[in-house]
Amino acid sequence: MKPYISATVFSQRETVGGHFLVVLKVSDSFRESLPGQFVMVRMKSCDQPFLSRPFSIYSVYSHGKNTFLEILYKVVGKGTEAFSRLREGDILNILGPLGKGFDIPSECDKIVLIAGGVGIAPLSFLAERCERDINGAEIVCYIGAGSLEALVSLDRIEGICSVVKISTDDGSWGHAGSVTELFRRDMELYMDNDSRIYSCGPNPMLRSLNKLLKGRPVACQVSLEERMACGIGACLGCVVKIKSGDVGGGLVRVCKEGPVFDISSVDYSEHNG
Amino acid sequence: MKLKMGVDIGGLALKNPVMTASGTFGYGEEYSDYLDLNRLGAVIVKGLSLKPRDGNPPPRIMETASGMLNAVGLQNVGVRAFIDDKLPRLRRIDSAVVANIFGETIEDYANVAEILNDAEGVDALEVNISCPNVKRGGVAFGSDPVLAGEVTRAVKNVSRLPVIVKLTPNVTDITEIARATEAAGADALSLINTITGMSVDIEKKVPHLENVTGGLSGPAIKPVALRMVWEVVNTVSIPVIGVGGIMNARDALEFLIVGAKAVQVGTANFINPGVTVDIIDDMRKYMSEKGINDINNLIGTLEV
Ligand SMILES: Cc1cc2nc3c(=O)[nH]c(=O)nc-3n(C[C@H](O)[C@H](O)[C@H](O)COP(=O)(O)OP(=O)(O)OC[C@H]3O[C@@H](n4cnc5c(N)ncnc54)[C@H](O)[C@@H]3O)c2cc1C
Ligand code: FES
Repeated sequence: MKPYISATVFSQRETVGGHFLVVLKVSDSFRESLPGQFVMVRMKSCDQPFLSRPFSIYSVYSHGKNTFLEILYKVVGKGTEAFSRLREGDILNILGPLGKGFDIPSECDKIVLIAGGVGIAPLSFLAERCERDINGAEIVCYIGAGSLEALVSLDRIEGICSVVKISTDDGSWGHAGSVTELFRRDMELYMDNDSRIYSCGPNPMLRSLNKLLKGRPVACQVSLEERMACGIGACLGCVVKIKSGDVGGGLVRVCKEGPVFDISSVDYSEHNG
Repeated sequence: MKLKMGVDIGGLALKNPVMTASGTFGYGEEYSDYLDLNRLGAVIVKGLSLKPRDGNPPPRIMETASGMLNAVGLQNVGVRAFIDDKLPRLRRIDSAVVANIFGETIEDYANVAEILNDAEGVDALEVNISCPNVKRGGVAFGSDPVLAGEVTRAVKNVSRLPVIVKLTPNVTDITEIARATEAAGADALSLINTITGMSVDIEKKVPHLENVTGGLSGPAIKPVALRMVWEVVNTVSIPVIGVGGIMNARDALEFLIVGAKAVQVGTANFINPGVTVDIIDDMRKYMSEKGINDINNLIGTLEV
């Protein structure tokens, strides 16, 4: 893999308040990107912010000779603020695809996605690939946000999933309350070997999902976030606590052994969110 | 013109003066996809202790103005796992391999150094003396000239390898520590380690790092590092390696001109995993533009 390479902004637009969808023209090497993998992004023209920022891959596709990579992000600080001002033709530096993506079964009856806010990004890419690669699977999505204005990526996910259920904290759309509550009402439908659950969102949400699923007979993978400096396993800045298992246990790198982990292997007893 | 870039660091021969700073380059393998490790002067691996260490709980890093704070807490696989699992791949590269070591007691340091005597493929030791001494109330070895000298001597007594001592900037007078470690037999010095700092979340009124404080690195500390290297090269006669905030060849050349015989590139590796090779290439360019055929002719040429 090459170190950082240039990516040209093909288009960028604000989807809902404070959320942006940027489409980058990238090198062919990104074609192999898998759902759950991420990229490190930095400005080309200036060295601020100092560290690169990690973003999940929202989609990758080719048109003729060109490869396009999409990122869906929420403006939360100076890095995302700077990215949001990019215009068509501007250049970013990008490294990737990085990390280990979701395990996608070759056969499966039900794919259940549980997204909190912009956590929909990697799950939407996953949904695209499940629809393409798994014959006859039903894809169901539970998506939660603070309010109607913060519900991102609805149109795309509605185009792929057979059922999309929505919750907002303030009740401005769908179920009033958390997305895990919404999921809990239906969860008995999925407690079997033929279902797979995938989730991404804020740590408190994943923590309550973990509680719900504890000891239940269903496979669930989550994509975790931590502050990152390098994205390639060198700085040891991005660790989370993992119970011993196939990735070794102890403090494990989100960028290298993750960002996708089995929810049952994440140690939610302390520190992790 | 054939350019000579080799330097000698107290018995450690480097084919060029660019090394990777400990803790920023893993065990080398993390970077093998991004650059040709054979190009480097040396790879300095992540600090090794007698037993494996988990390090500090997260969050461990925070961005700052032109730099970052880290409180990784010297997480590492331990010296034995390093020799068994990491070294076999590393020793195949055609660059020097330097093992960075640390301990909580003087005996720890000596033990790790002794174990590495039998490790084929390790070319030198770098002793991190910034750690707290658990036996003496947690005072950092590196902030006390007597303790710094004792650690240096203990490692020198058992090791067959050139010993580089890495100095901390968190002291009143770095030249005092430099003198003490030189007197205790250090073959070379490297400086500076990170500068202790902190950062606060004003919404939650908590420190950004779980460990409260962390080590500052990146371009923010370069002027401090350069000043300290300048002070130390004027104090000791053993070779000095410049470390701190080097992002490009210009930064590296500043250290050489001030008198460092080599440099270590640290945080820059996080931002551009191929940066060390760029620095070597740009250094060569500078040499040919300036008609310098041997890098040693540039070292210590500062006019004041
Ligand atoms: C593997 C991975 C995938 C990600 N995917 C996406 C994505 O698809 N879309 C998206 O919008 N965001 C994503 N994030 C989060 C994104 O990286 C942060 O929002 C971004 O780094 C913030 O940068 P900033 O400079 O704008 O904010 P800063 O000024 O750095 O921080 C502002 C606030 O955001 C928090 N923050 C900073 N970095 C992170 C982080 N890495 N994770 C969580 N919170 C953080 C800070 O604690 C602070 O409260 C992902 C993070 C990881 C680790
Ligand atoms: S971000 Fe550096 S090790 Fe994961």
